[in-house]
Amino acid sequence: MSHDPWVWIGAFLTIGIFSFLYKENPFYRFCEHLFVGVANGYAIAVTWHLVLTPRLIMPLQGGNYLVLIPMIIGILYFFRFIPRLSWLVRIPIAVALGFSSGVSIPAIIQADVIKQMQGTVVYPHLFANWQQGFWAILIFIGVIATIFFFFFSKEHKGILKPVSYIGIIFIMVGFGASFGYTVMARLSLLIGRLQFLFGIWLGLIK
Amino acid sequence: MKFWEYLLKIDRRVVFLVVGLSVLIPLIFPFYIKTNVMPTTQKLFDTIEEIDPGAQGILIAADYDPQTMPELQPMFIVLLRHSFARRIPVLVMSSYMQGIGLAKQGLDQVAEEFNSRAKTNADSIIYGRDYVFLGFPPLWLAAVLRMGSDISQAFPADYYKNRTASLEMMKRIKNYNDIGIVVSIAGSGIPQSWVTYANTRFGVKVGSGATAVMAPDFYPFLQTGQMSGMIAGLKGASEYEYLVNTKYNLPGPTPATKGMGSQSIAHLTILLLVVIGNIGYFASRRRR
Amino acid sequence: MQRKLPLMIVLVIGIAMLIQFFIPHKFSKDLYMNFLDWLGIIAAFALVLGLGSLINHHLDKIQRKRENWQYSWVTLIAIVITAIIGLFGGMEGKGPLPVQPQFILGNKLIVIKYSIQTIYDNVMTPLGGTMFALLAFFMASAAYRAFRARTFEATLLLVAAFIVMIGVVPIGYYISPKLPHLAQWIMDVPNTASKRGILFGVGLGIAATSLKIILGIERNWLGGK
Repeated sequence: MSHDPWVWIGAFLTIGIFSFLYKENPFYRFCEHLFVGVANGYAIAVTWHLVLTPRLIMPLQGGNYLVLIPMIIGILYFFRFIPRLSWLVRIPIAVALGFSSGVSIPAIIQADVIKQMQGTVVYPHLFANWQQGFWAILIFIGVIATIFFFFFSKEHKGILKPVSYIGIIFIMVGFGASFGYTVMARLSLLIGRLQFLFGIWLGLIK
Repeated sequence: MKFWEYLLKIDRRVVFLVVGLSVLIPLIFPFYIKTNVMPTTQKLFDTIEEIDPGAQGILIAADYDPQTMPELQPMFIVLLRHSFARRIPVLVMSSYMQGIGLAKQGLDQVAEEFNSRAKTNADSIIYGRDYVFLGFPPLWLAAVLRMGSDISQAFPADYYKNRTASLEMMKRIKNYNDIGIVVSIAGSGIPQSWVTYANTRFGVKVGSGATAVMAPDFYPFLQTGQMSGMIAGLKGASEYEYLVNTKYNLPGPTPATKGMGSQSIAHLTILLLVVIGNIGYFASRRRR
Repeated sequence: MQRKLPLMIVLVIGIAMLIQFFIPHKFSKDLYMNFLDWLGIIAAFALVLGLGSLINHHLDKIQRKRENWQYSWVTLIAIVITAIIGLFGGMEGKGPLPVQPQFILGNKLIVIKYSIQTIYDNVMTPLGGTMFALLAFFMASAAYRAFRARTFEATLLLVAAFIVMIGVVPIGYYISPKLPHLAQWIMDVPNTASKRGILFGVGLGIAATSLKIILGIERNWLGGK
């Protein structure tokens, strides 16, 4: 059993959250609100030490006054709290939005569309191994069928119906695989917490 | 109540207890099952093995927070052990504000493991020479794109408020050309974003350590080669622990491997619960 | 002006970022790098705004005595104490606030650690980790109650899930050596195909939405009047 008081605090907070499994109770609510408070207090410390200090304070101390321009744009965020001037908050949002929208278009087209298309095309060299070639054809059919399934601008009649049904088959298998992995993920989180409670705290796990 | 009606109406707290016990009992009474290594994990291991430590480093992005820590922290630790064992210069950053503390925890733990065994200065893991903790970028996308030209400009100061450019390691690790692989350990779709912005634009290899929830979504990128390997979930972490320990025989806790007994039994339990639910459903439907 | 100025900013910066991708000239690259450095500073203030909004919300809850208002005190006190320890103690515990006071009790040296990293390791990590660990129980209960093989498609999903669930854990190999290979095949072929089809749609959707934002067709982000 651990003698570190902080481990005991961590253990009681863990049990407090787990108490929700029986029913919601004041201890659980306390832990929940404590988490929000500590997380945000930590965020304040990180924002000051790791963000504002190296990017704003240190350059200003070094005589680089150009950083005042982005600082002024950033300060416009706080006009959200002044109703008459709250429209000024749109300016820094526009800067960030314009940047992320502009940068994402060529990147997403290249990575998520063109490269993925290249990966779907069935090349002759894949048939050097007949199994690999066969699975490549299957992937090609599956991708086309999945795209057809999600095409809702036209009713799924005629040729569209069987193709979109093949799409459903592939999607169901894909989602089944995702569910299997989701089970693994959730149980892994529980394993980790029980390793802490019964290993580090109570010392029952060798 | 008829038996099959009971099968459909087991109290959820009983279900919780059964699941809890199926995880706990194998932890307290462990049994070892040999792990079979998945091709995606092997690929990531081989890619890191191919890095020339004198020419390139590795950037490990601890893009997760305490919510997914039980699954992802073991991956972070085993990747650090692998990198330090090969003397690959390591850069660590975190895109999540709440992940910085976990990255620091992991770095302190693994550095201490190596330094407690070191006999000379050359054997030791020294901050600034062998690894740098870059910290947290306020705008992830801007930092990822900036690192394409100058990592020290993307992170002007490190976690310990040193000027990044002044650190010994950063004199030879300038940008992505000096990085052998970026491994993003994340509980979200961030590894995909690393592929979109870092791999597509700058050609740097990207690997991922993904929670099992996200792992199926990254298979299209593995198939095209945009991702050079993936550690999927706690099982993936145990596979990587196996690979690293087989080759380098490093001491240190292996929580992922220890959890595999519980993982196996708990999966069988969930399967059983689904089967019981379906038996009850079909039996009651037949009665009607 | 209140709507036109932000829309102009989005248009100019969006197009600039789009075309600089294709311009290798040094001037374009230098301008782009400076812009990236400035963006980091602007984003820092967005973080501060988020914190301010949260504090505002809880103060309002206490003032108006809304449901469970007493717990808002817990949040606010925790924010203040953690922030003080972090700001004045430093991330490394080397700030002006002593976060590792030591004193002698009898003939024992007592060290009390309360640095920001200690609070992170022993309060935030257990709380955050356990909140998500609850999902394991709810997932099991939901699987037991709702996962029914009612139709052919649902049965297909169930069978795929079973094969993957058993194939990916070590015990799967002992049940049948073919199971891990079958699970891997499911991930490599049908899963890849379906996820890729979805990825095409999502990728094109993101590109289209980004273009709509730049051109001012999509204006929901402006909010208000």
